[in-house]
Amino acid sequence: MTNSAITVLLVDDDDMIRECVTAYLEDEGFSVYAYATAEQALESIAAISPVVCISDMRLPGMNGEDFIVKAHTLSPVTRYMLHTGMLYSLSDELRFIGMKDDDVMLKPIHNLSKLVENIKHIAVVGRF
Amino acid sequence: MSPKAAEKFFRSESRYRMLVENSCDIVFSLDMDGNIAYVSPAWQKILGHEPSEVIGHNFVEFVNPEDIAGIQTMVAAVIRTNSMQEATYRVNHVDGSWRWHTARVNRHRDDDGVQTIFGTAHDATERLHIEELMTQSEKMAMISGMAAGMAHEINNPLGAILQHAQNIERRVSADIPANVKAAAEVGVSLDLVHAYMQKRGIFDFIGHIRTAGIKASGIISNMLQFSRRSDAGAELVDLSAFLDKVLELAGTDYDMKKKYDFHRIELQRLYADNLPPVLLVVAGMEQVLLNIIKNAAQALTGGELPHQPRITVRTQVAEGMAAIEIEDNGSGMDEKTRQRIFEPFFTTKEIGVGTGLGLSVAYEIITKGHHGLIDVRSKLGRGSCFTIKLPLQGRA
Ligand SMILES: Nc1ncnc2c1ncn2[C@@H]1O[C@H](COP(=O)(O)OP(=O)(O)OP(=O)(O)O)[C@@H](O)[C@H]1O
Ligand SMILES: [Mg+2]
Repeated sequence: MTNSAITVLLVDDDDMIRECVTAYLEDEGFSVYAYATAEQALESIAAISPVVCISDMRLPGMNGEDFIVKAHTLSPVTRYMLHTGMLYSLSDELRFIGMKDDDVMLKPIHNLSKLVENIKHIAVVGRF
Repeated sequence: MSPKAAEKFFRSESRYRMLVENSCDIVFSLDMDGNIAYVSPAWQKILGHEPSEVIGHNFVEFVNPEDIAGIQTMVAAVIRTNSMQEATYRVNHVDGSWRWHTARVNRHRDDDGVQTIFGTAHDATERLHIEELMTQSEKMAMISGMAAGMAHEINNPLGAILQHAQNIERRVSADIPANVKAAAEVGVSLDLVHAYMQKRGIFDFIGHIRTAGIKASGIISNMLQFSRRSDAGAELVDLSAFLDKVLELAGTDYDMKKKYDFHRIELQRLYADNLPPVLLVVAGMEQVLLNIIKNAAQALTGGELPHQPRITVRTQVAEGMAAIEIEDNGSGMDEKTRQRIFEPFFTTKEIGVGTGLGLSVAYEIITKGHHGLIDVRSKLGRGSCFTIKLPLQGRA
């Protein structure tokens, strides 16, 4: 699958993080939609139906964990990833919808090529 | 015993004497210059000196110099107010160690007007030690919360620094079609932009931003240890083999070899042979022991130490816990330093040598990750001894 075929939805309340991750992913050819809150992302996710969705954990309002559980009901084909500053182990609910330990990425990501690698990996796995 | 009978009993001097001599507390009397006139047998039981080594000597000869002023203040208060006073101070045990004692004293004037200071004293070492450990754990709980919060706040800006540095590098690369297109629109050649940046060392600067960011992120991730509470990944381990492995690791560490002459340090291993396997989070415990050994090596490097530098690693089983002791005969530390070493960022080392995180992380890993205890004894100029106690299975 080429990168341009992979739509990525990004949720992070930090403007700088949204900006730099979006820039990198767009340079790599992905189509990126970025939102500052879980609530905004939930309004659009069904229509966009992204291949991959990356969410921050600590968000104003709904947190990343609850967001993913809800988003999964609206867009079940999407593969989900968490991008978090806290050490975090996956809840049973997130495991149940198919998330793995590798789908949790710790902030700060030193090299965004690692994120790209993970996105491509789960995008492919998601097809099976 | 009826009140009347009791009064009769206590009126007899020989019975008073019996009470004094059987008391667990030390009973003593001093003349007004502080010379010891009498001590009960408890002195010898608690502190080990023969009566002849004590009687006739001045009380302050046995007291830690730092605590003498406190005792003088107490005696002055007794004389001024004519009432019972209390003081806590360190007295010398015959084995050379200091014991914390709490004494209550008062003044007595007999019929001929001769004055005596008399009092009782008991050993408070254990109680004070427990209090210190408790204050320590409260202090650490507060600091942990702060550290975790701070680490989290810093991760986002740090991510932006690292990732934007990477974005800058990539936006001048000719490999990305959008770059080529934009360069053509403004009429510059990407190859020339690239060559210019190369010539002016700009790519190096960007590299330095990333290196610095990665270093800061290493410090932050150490701080995040503070919020890690689980004992996930614990396994039963043979402590002797584990310690051997850690010592071997220490010996191959670059800093240890080059900066601290680790090979020069004699390693003494005194392992108990009856040790049951111990539940360890291997990576965490490795980090703890390496930190402690590195500190010991550092304490054995500064200044010209005349003796043979030595690190002793001892294990034993006591009170349902496995104890690991790591002792060095290096610089040691004073009491003020000793009380602060588990605080994050507390260091006496030069900038660049120590960040002061080693022992605070060790403290978290031992107390939260292993439900254990970590503690230190030290004597300035003589050395330090770290003790780690880990619960044995089924008794945690
Ligand atoms: N074995 C020892 N002998 C003497 N002083 C020690 C010993 N171990 C620790 N200390 C004191 O405790 C302080 C804190 O130690 P800690 O390991 O937390 O930080 P550090 O060694 O200064 O820096 P870092 O471990 O982050 O490189 C040291 O700076 C030193 O003053
Ligand atoms: Mg250290």
